[in-house]
Amino acid sequence: MSQPDSDRSSSRRILSALADGDATGSEAARAFQAWRDDPDARASWHAYQLIGDVLRSDDLAAEPAADEAFLVALRARLATEPVVLAPQPRVEEQAVAQPVAANAAARSRARWQGPMAMAAGFLAVVGVLNVAGPFRHGSNASVASNGAPASGPVLAATTSVNNSGLVLTSAQTPAETKAAADQLAPYLAAHRQSAMNGPFQMPGSDLRNVSLVQPAK
Amino acid sequence: MTMLNPDPDAALVQRVKEGDVRAFEMLVVKYQRRIERLIGRMVRDVDLVADIAQETFIRAYRALPQFRAESAFYTWLYRIAVNTAKKALVDMKRDPVMTHTALQGADDDDETYRGGMEPTDGETPEALLASKEIAATVNAAIAALSEDLRQAITLREIEGLSYEEISDVMNCPIGTVRSRIFRAREAIAERLRPLLDTRDGKRW
Repeated sequence: MSQPDSDRSSSRRILSALADGDATGSEAARAFQAWRDDPDARASWHAYQLIGDVLRSDDLAAEPAADEAFLVALRARLATEPVVLAPQPRVEEQAVAQPVAANAAARSRARWQGPMAMAAGFLAVVGVLNVAGPFRHGSNASVASNGAPASGPVLAATTSVNNSGLVLTSAQTPAETKAAADQLAPYLAAHRQSAMNGPFQMPGSDLRNVSLVQPAK
Repeated sequence: MTMLNPDPDAALVQRVKEGDVRAFEMLVVKYQRRIERLIGRMVRDVDLVADIAQETFIRAYRALPQFRAESAFYTWLYRIAVNTAKKALVDMKRDPVMTHTALQGADDDDETYRGGMEPTDGETPEALLASKEIAATVNAAIAALSEDLRQAITLREIEGLSYEEISDVMNCPIGTVRSRIFRAREAIAERLRPLLDTRDGKRW
């Protein structure tokens, strides 16, 4: 890679500042890019760090081939590492690189975020009503009918919730729905029984009379 | 170690946390020699030292999202290295094929233990010669620097002062400090570069 001397010097100057934690944000971004793209920048970074180490102690002077071999081996291991970091968007770079695409994506998100939030809210309310239903009205209180639909084999044209708490979609047939409900029925029955005896039971349902007997003085 | 000055590695660490693995390589190049020396004082098998150092950096990379900058990055990395070396020593004690040399100094928890300063078994005479040549070149280059440049880089690298503190000591603007340290590094690197070219003239 041929690079003008002034660019090379500027890049090295920034690397020197970054090594001491004195680079500005834009300088640091340039240094990271240089590390990726420019062998001279990588060699300079290594040289600066080695110089610092040798100034601190002669026994930190290492054979450069050993340093390089160490990095190559580690690079290979890092390449096999699962992604454990949580990347955050680098706003300034994305804005510079693809402002049009970013704006379009933001507009697209804004378009469906409102309806999706409303739909999620609706489903949450439906879910709560459904869970509370058996306690209020008995087992038949449900938002969507569990019986055969009036309009053909597809149970519902839109998403709905049956009395077992299943979310039904237009792709589910009555047979599929029944099979799923049968699978969940024992679990839900046990859950309801547990809930009736759990911490949310009605107060007063299981009280005992206790009398206080004071010892005679 | 208290953090009197901002961590000089903060920008690099942040960059890695944002998902730039290559920025982690810069930290590796910066600390690899110090970490290897630290491990070498606990485990004196040169092959094992490199392996434990690799494991140290891998563990640090995995744990970096949890690094809260309550200490300097190097202090945190140092702790990982010590723990990794201790674990390796415990594993070796359980392993019947362990070598005697690998366990020398195994019971010494002191991180400043200096018992292993003689050459480790795996170091070749060529490697030792190259190391000595590099040290001699750096020291000769330092001696040849002007007083201002030598003082600036010494205050930074040996005393660990920040640019602001150096500007106070040297009674000059921070920009001048930055420039002097860069010029000092470049002057030394200029002499060093012929020794740093790796095989086939390739570098990094």
